[in-house]
Parts: sequence; C-alpha cells; structure tokens
Amino acid sequence: MTATASATDSAPARTADASSRLRPNEILRIVRLHTVNPAIFFGVPWMILGGAWAVTMIIALIIQGAAGPLDPTETGFEYSWAVLSPQWYLIVVGVQAVSYTFPFALGFGATRRDYWLGTSAMFVIVSVMYAAAIATLLLVERATSGWGIGAGMFDALWYVGADWGTAFYTTFALQLLVLFIGAGVTTVYMRWRMRGMLTVLFGGVALILAIIAVLTFTETWEALGAWLASIGVVGVFTLVLATAVAWAIAGLLVIRRATPR
Amino acid sequence: MTTTVVRARGLTKRYGSFTAIDGIDLSLDEGRIYGLLGRNGAGKTTVMQLLTGQIFPNGGELEVFGRPPAEHADVLRRMCFIAEAQRYPEDFTPAHVFRSAPWFFEHWDAAFAERLIADFRLPVKRRIKKLSRGQLSAVGVIVGLASRAPMTFFDEPYLGLDAVARHIFYDRLLEDYAAHPRTVVLSTHLIDEVANLLEHVILIDQGRILLDRDADEVRGSATTVAGARAAVEQFVGERPVIGREGLGGLASVTIDGRLDHAERVRAAELGLELAPVSLQQLIVHLTGAELAESNQKEVVA
Repeated sequence: MTATASATDSAPARTADASSRLRPNEILRIVRLHTVNPAIFFGVPWMILGGAWAVTMIIALIIQGAAGPLDPTETGFEYSWAVLSPQWYLIVVGVQAVSYTFPFALGFGATRRDYWLGTSAMFVIVSVMYAAAIATLLLVERATSGWGIGAGMFDALWYVGADWGTAFYTTFALQLLVLFIGAGVTTVYMRWRMRGMLTVLFGGVALILAIIAVLTFTETWEALGAWLASIGVVGVFTLVLATAVAWAIAGLLVIRRATPR
Repeated sequence: MTTTVVRARGLTKRYGSFTAIDGIDLSLDEGRIYGLLGRNGAGKTTVMQLLTGQIFPNGGELEVFGRPPAEHADVLRRMCFIAEAQRYPEDFTPAHVFRSAPWFFEHWDAAFAERLIADFRLPVKRRIKKLSRGQLSAVGVIVGLASRAPMTFFDEPYLGLDAVARHIFYDRLLEDYAAHPRTVVLSTHLIDEVANLLEHVILIDQGRILLDRDADEVRGSATTVAGARAAVEQFVGERPVIGREGLGGLASVTIDGRLDHAERVRAAELGLELAPVSLQQLIVHLTGAELAESNQKEVVA
C-alpha cells in the first residue's frame, strides 16, 4: 500500500523499531508514563507503610506505658498484619492502571500489547523495590530489637525466622500477585464489561467451592496440609508467583481486544 | 498528488442491538481538514474510535495508513486522539500530560505547547478532575495541536471553550496547519463556528453518512427560494427539495443544487427572493426531524 510510505515518517530508526516484535522504546515509555506522577506507585504506598509503622510504634509505647518494658520473647506482634498494609492499596493501583491509564495510553497511540508489557514491567520493578525494602526493614527491626522498644511490624506472620532472601522472594511474589489481580480483573471489565466481571466472580466462587467439595469428599484436606507444609513457605510463595504469572498472561490475552468506555 | 490515508468500506459497529455505525464508506486524503458533523449521538466519536483502533468494527473493511489501525504500532504512532470524554490516569494534572506527550509523539513541539498553555490560560498544576469543561477541552486541543501527529483528531474541541479560546484554537490550528500540513478530523455539532475552517464536510446521522463533500461545494450547493406560494412552487418544479416552510400564502423552499444566471433572472421575474444557505442551516435541514426520509435520500444521491 503506497500510503504507508508517507512523507511524514522522518525517523527511519524508529520505524525499524516498530516493525520488530519487541519494541523496547514503546514499552519503556509506558513505564515512564506510570512514573510521571510518582505518588501512585511510590508516594502513597510508602505513606501507608509509614503510617502503619507509626501506629505499631504507638501501640508498643502504650503497652509499654501500661505494663512496663516489653519482654523480648513476647510474640504478640508476630500476629500483626501491619506489614501487609500497602498491599490493599496496590490492588487499587492495579485496577487504576487499566481503568484510567490504559484508555489514556490508547489515546496517545500505544498498542494494547505494548501497554500491557510496559505495565507488567512496571509491576515487576515496583515489586522488586518493595520486596527489597521490606526484607531490609525486617533485618533493621531485628538488629534494633524492635526499633529499640520491642515493637514488631516486619518480624510478623511468615516473616518470623525468615532470612533476607526468603523475605524478599515472598514479598515479591505476593506484591506481583496483588498488582496483577487488580489489573487482570479490570482488563476483563474493559473487554466484556459487567457481564465479564460477573462471569469471573461466579466462576471464581464456583471453582473454590468445587475445590472445597473435592477435598472434603476425598478427605484429602490433611494430605493438602501436609503437602503445603512439606513445600514450606518458599514453596507456597512459588505457587503465589505462578498464579501472578498466570494472571499476567491472561491479562495480555484479554487486553488485546479490550476497548475503553 | 494526494494520498488516501483512510479507506473504509461497509464499516459497521454494533453495541448489542444498537447499530452505532451502519456500513459507512469513507475515504480521507492526506493534508486536509475534515469536519465530522452531526447531532449528538450521531456516531461521530464512534467513527473516530474506529479510525484510531480504540474499538473494533463488527463488519466492513478499514485501512488507515494502509493497515487496519488496531494494534499496529506503526499506524497508531502517527495518530493523536484525545476523546471528548477522555480518561486520564488517576490524579493527573495537565503538566503530567504534557510531560509524557513527547514520548508518544515524535513531532511534539514543547515550545508550541507552552505558548498554547499561556494562550488558553490553562492551570497546569491543577488536577484534571478539578478542571472546568472548557479547561479540559483546552488540554485536548493543546495535545492535538502540539503533537503535530500526521493524523490528528479533535473530538468536540469547542465544548465549554469561551469565545476567545475558540478563536485562539481556530487561529492556531490554521497557522500551524499551514506550516505543518497534516490530516485533521474535527468533530462538532457547533457547525457555524467551524464552517470556515473545514475543507471537507462529512455529515453523519444515525450511523450513516448523509453528505460527504468538499466544503466549498457544500456552501453554495443549496438556495432558499421565498415568495408567494404559487410562484415558489412554479419555480421549484421538479428540483430536489431539502426543506419547506410556509406561512399563509407565503412559502420558503430550500432546494439542492446551484442556480445558473438564467434561473436567477427568472426567479427575479417571478418576484422571488433567493438566499444562500449556511452550512449550519443546510445541516439542520438535512438532519432535522421534520424532514421526509425521501428528501434525505435525494440529497445523498
């Protein structure tokens, strides 16, 4: 078609980029688009984490004030979910990445494929960053014996007894899952609207019920528990990571035909 | 030599049982300003969304720069489309929009964007959610102009803009278009405002194209004949009529087609008044609800 050879195409190098399957520049610009307003991926999650930390400190001080110095062997803080507080917000970030930023990127001439690849890259970058931060803060908390007052925010849940590598890996996997679930579910909405959302919701509920039924009727609950215990924390979070990757691939397939409202 | 940049045949878009675009044929040439005109809900935005690959057609063929637009990076990077109801990323400000624009538009002119921001007095640090309708339109207009995309869409750019801002848009578009020719598609229902800007008019109604003609041709293409009813009817005869109004013994009939000198003389002899029809009047005639279906068909033919 002669129209393709338009005179307006002044950058042959970029044309070569566009014709190859992988377009690093087109993908990188989506990452940059996500960071142009740094509050979304960086500012707010850090504020939430900082807020949760401050609340944990205040609770520790209150307990200390009422009951005297905290026993270092006290394990109550190990049941605190404060370390997971930014995760809930990051689900919303995943949703907004598709519901708001995706239609904008389309208006700016990005393809759906490049948008999803760029967004996935952003999710990986963010997850690596938070995983490294939380794993490091965990070590800091241990080194300072609970921030000097016996308080515990990071040394909780499965992080208890975990080394830096395990803390990093598990946080990374969970973070990625949370972001991709938020974004993936929203691609379903972008493609099939409410009907698609309800189908996914009821399908998910039906799947969970089916799994419960199978496990109950075959009396394999204990076997499942034993298996999960045998693969350990790292094994369980490998399942989490695999689920995140599955959502990422599903999201790519769904978004290729998704349309903004 | 003109290059055809958009070719559509039998293009159809359905939403459930509602047919938004009903098998239209369309052909746009490079380096012209097209007006996509029609009433609210006529299908103007849908056409733009189809041409920019934002939505997928249910039928027909569509080629933009020689390929179907959806998911073709080399086609999409030559287009800029800020929809009238464009969504922006959460908590975005106009400053964020203009900072990211150069990554997507290789011909982006930052200095031109700065000048337009000053012209429109756009508060660039205010969140987009908090902007007025006119300021929101200004964001789309600035991106559209400064992107210098080979194919630029303006979706209802006049919405909420005051008279001064509308004039700025008009001036800057013509100025920049002269220096950097490109294909512009502008949708609006405020026809008189843009009438002089357009080189080609595409009138769409209920998902069909009623008129697809050179703007100059359209401007002189219809005449209103007014006078005594009998004389008007005698003069009009078998000519295609687009509009008919009457009051007592007086009638005013709008006919399609140019009148030659002899016909004008004859009209004067019959004591009839002839008046040119503005683009807006013509379009009101063509899309007005009071018109008979048969009249519309005659015009299209």
